[in-house]
Amino acid sequence: MTKSIIPPLIFFALCLIGLPLVLSALWVKVVTSAAIFALAAAGISVLFAQLGLINLAQIALVGVGGWIALRLNYGTALPVTLIIAIAGIATSVIGAALALPALRMRGLYLALVTLMAAGAFQILFNAFQFPNGGEGFWGVARQSAADLRPPLMVQSDAGYLRYTIVITALCFGLVALHRVTAPGRAWAMIRQSEANAMAAGINVTFYKIWAFALSGLLAGVAGGLLSTALGQLDARSFLASEGILLFALAVVGGAYSWVGAVIAGVLYKLLPALLNDFGVSADIALVIFGAALLHAIMTAPRGIAGQLSGALQRKPA
Amino acid sequence: MKLQFTLATGAAALCLALTGTNATANGHAASCGLNTGEAATGAPIKVGGINGNAPPGDFSGGTDAAAAYFACVNANGGINGRPIDYLVENDQWNPELAGQVATKLVKDEGVVALVGNGSVVSMAVNAGLYKDEDVMVMASGCAISECYESSNIVSTNQGPLPSGIGALTYAVEELGTTNAACIGFNIPNNGGWACDWMEDFMSSQGLSGTSILMDPTAVDLNSVYLQAIAEGADTILLMLPAGPAIGLLKVAEEQGGRDLFTWVSPTPLYEPGVAEVLGDYWNDNLYIHIELAPFDSDGADNQNWVKVMDAYGQPDDRRDTFSQSGYISAKFFVEALLELDAESIDRATVSAAIRGITDAESDLLCAPYYVGDADRHMPNHAGRMVSYTGGAFEVVRDCFDIESSYLDPIRAQEAALGIGQ
Amino acid sequence: MVYGLFLVSGLAVGSLYALGGIGLVILRNSTGVLNFAYGAIAAFSAMFAWQIADWGLPGVVSWIAAVATGIALSVAYGRLIAPSLAWREPAVKAIATLGYMLILLGLIGFIWDDALRKIELPSDKAAISVLGVRVTLTRIIAFTVSIAAVIIMVQYLRRSHTGLNMRALADNRDHAALLGIPIVKTETLAWGISGALAGFTGLIFGSLVRLEPTVITFMVIPATAAAICGRLTSLPLTLAGGLFIGVAESMLTLYKPAAPLRTMAPFVIAALVILWMQRGQKLTFAKEA
Repeated sequence: MTKSIIPPLIFFALCLIGLPLVLSALWVKVVTSAAIFALAAAGISVLFAQLGLINLAQIALVGVGGWIALRLNYGTALPVTLIIAIAGIATSVIGAALALPALRMRGLYLALVTLMAAGAFQILFNAFQFPNGGEGFWGVARQSAADLRPPLMVQSDAGYLRYTIVITALCFGLVALHRVTAPGRAWAMIRQSEANAMAAGINVTFYKIWAFALSGLLAGVAGGLLSTALGQLDARSFLASEGILLFALAVVGGAYSWVGAVIAGVLYKLLPALLNDFGVSADIALVIFGAALLHAIMTAPRGIAGQLSGALQRKPA
Repeated sequence: MKLQFTLATGAAALCLALTGTNATANGHAASCGLNTGEAATGAPIKVGGINGNAPPGDFSGGTDAAAAYFACVNANGGINGRPIDYLVENDQWNPELAGQVATKLVKDEGVVALVGNGSVVSMAVNAGLYKDEDVMVMASGCAISECYESSNIVSTNQGPLPSGIGALTYAVEELGTTNAACIGFNIPNNGGWACDWMEDFMSSQGLSGTSILMDPTAVDLNSVYLQAIAEGADTILLMLPAGPAIGLLKVAEEQGGRDLFTWVSPTPLYEPGVAEVLGDYWNDNLYIHIELAPFDSDGADNQNWVKVMDAYGQPDDRRDTFSQSGYISAKFFVEALLELDAESIDRATVSAAIRGITDAESDLLCAPYYVGDADRHMPNHAGRMVSYTGGAFEVVRDCFDIESSYLDPIRAQEAALGIGQ
Repeated sequence: MVYGLFLVSGLAVGSLYALGGIGLVILRNSTGVLNFAYGAIAAFSAMFAWQIADWGLPGVVSWIAAVATGIALSVAYGRLIAPSLAWREPAVKAIATLGYMLILLGLIGFIWDDALRKIELPSDKAAISVLGVRVTLTRIIAFTVSIAAVIIMVQYLRRSHTGLNMRALADNRDHAALLGIPIVKTETLAWGISGALAGFTGLIFGSLVRLEPTVITFMVIPATAAAICGRLTSLPLTLAGGLFIGVAESMLTLYKPAAPLRTMAPFVIAALVILWMQRGQKLTFAKEA
């Protein structure tokens, strides 16, 4: 176990020190986005890999976390890091509440429930919009958006990238901790057979809700990070179709390891930006993603991450 | 391979027809910058531009026209010998991408200014960046409050607020409007902002107005139209980009709604390709407020715009109001830069030169253009009214200004600068 | 009068949801695939029909092209990709169609720029007045086709030999294979019928609502809501669900506080239906759909 945490630690340390130094201003922003959505994708992976549950509403939960963070940033004087933590916890409660009807389902019907939730949140975000410094509960003024407070000690985009990498790494650590402790073992048994898990004395309901809460936490933290990164949020960023896309990329990247979530974040934000920079239409990215999803489902269930580690292991040491 | 599209070809054909007569009539080449006829060869000056081109709207006309004008300037002596290197990015209506491309232009490329910008999301995301980096933006196709309420953004087009109120002014005075419904996107700094001020205008006139704010991704325009019926309004103001506005007009046509309401719209519906999509049903029943001169105006700047686009534009460039606006923004920008010593051009001198623009005249605009050093800018708030008559648009009222308390700070600036006195 | 207006308008929108839902259910019944790419197939067909008309070919050719494109795209997936997933669980089959959806959506964006377009149908001009609302022939066609599709399919499944095969496949694929039912042929037929409906829906949707590929592609989400109302299996209930959702959505417009939220109707109704279907089940032991 101690061995397995070394590669991710090295990876995050390298990113933390190296990336802000070598990247130009544009790529600092892009990589920040990619790191944030890697976090959201990790939430999808928890449900998919540990319990076989399909969640198409993760982007909607990112929006919920972002909404809470914006509301608190405008409405209170709390430090931004605390706001992001509150956004994560509140979103995890909402994620767990959404899980209640899902407890009796899995497979296709659960996917459909999350799709309906994603559709409903899309309408909610559009109807009520994201806070922009206005009065009242919804905090929306029909005017230009007010300024947001950045986190303490973060003055630049590069500083915010470091801040994002640290929080992302901490959250990945939290997921890893779950995998090797009681929840991870419980999830593994539930995935095998709910009846057996129950017979073994595992509280199936509790651990299922726990998984949804963890996934929601990651989405909420991602939303909080995103709101401060962009300075404001737009309802059009949280469409149901984006939830479908992020799920597809989490599967393509590989749901069974942290590398997969990183790949998903990179594919979701970095690849389109690269194509855009080369002047290639972003539509091409969609075609690639679609083909990659089909490929992953048909022949590579562990995704790109699985194929990478497979290739590494086959190499004689 | 890209296929050809009716709208682009239609627009191009229309412009060809327009220029065909004019080009043969006076036969002069386009006039740009120093007009030396010799290509500029000095160190390039980097200038940026951001447009938004993705559903639900194409706002690329401004940067297309600015690119054409800069190409023409570069072929005619440049900025005292230095060519303009014009870098255009598309934000695809995506706030994240908008932040990224602006950072790239302003920080990585170090552009001296941005010209011809046309987007709904980019200005909202980047107003703070422009201010922090003190880079000026001479926008051309703006539709949100940030474009008119920021120290570093000045837009040549009016945006929905003045143009919408202008359309309503005409409707109230000439068409007997007493109760207007403003249909706009439910985006706080776009539809919400413009429709709010429209309601304010109606109540200041002792009349009533309501807002119907729709989801920009709404599928069913029919129910938006029915909502307008349920409101009991006598006039519909289409505070929307051209695409959704046309969709709504189609729904109304299907329901036979032409005579149920008075139909008015701000500038976006004034587009060369619109006749092809709308057909004859709306003839003489649709009134549009236009922010700049009509496309077929004989004015020198309008004619030169056509020539520049013919000679230096791309065949698929849109030739809409944003295009005119991009041309005139680029022209004022170049005129301001030509005042500077070519060697001293950097962001600080360019920002100061842009702020120094006052009383710049053009036949494309109803009133002089100016920038000045202020916390908000809206130099263009007077326009004309046209009536849709199928194949063509007919001017039914020449230049008129609007009455709105929104303009109070703007009028104070104008008084201080001695403009329009 | 005003209620009639909203009722008729709601039925018109609802019949589009129902048309989509019916196409989904027909396919799911015989192949077990919930096809999320249905909307993308519809969008591609509508754009292709527009392209044909834009090339100056007569209207009839473009409408036939829409239906033919729908069939071709649907059958292509059914023959090339679906068989290798035939024995996987339903959720995986559905997720795989998301991949196809992304591919088609990317291709559409690549081939056709964003521009103002519209599809003219001759039936747009003819209209009758129902409850004070002018209803075009196109809307009447959409409404009647959705009802006719249900009646014809129900009769077809009940009476014809291939229909019997489809029902057998739906009940138990393994047993059907053992009985010597030609699985490939039967499934191809189902993909074809569903594709034809997708092409038709895309054409009507592009004409009635908006010819915008992303909008048509993601109409699959409310169409799925209609299909859920039919428990993903019943055609008549899907039709009823689609129409009910359309009318509910339209009527909500009249109540101003709810008006901005009216488009949530499909999702709320579908979620309620799912919850109701799960009633009485024990808390744990989640079931595969």
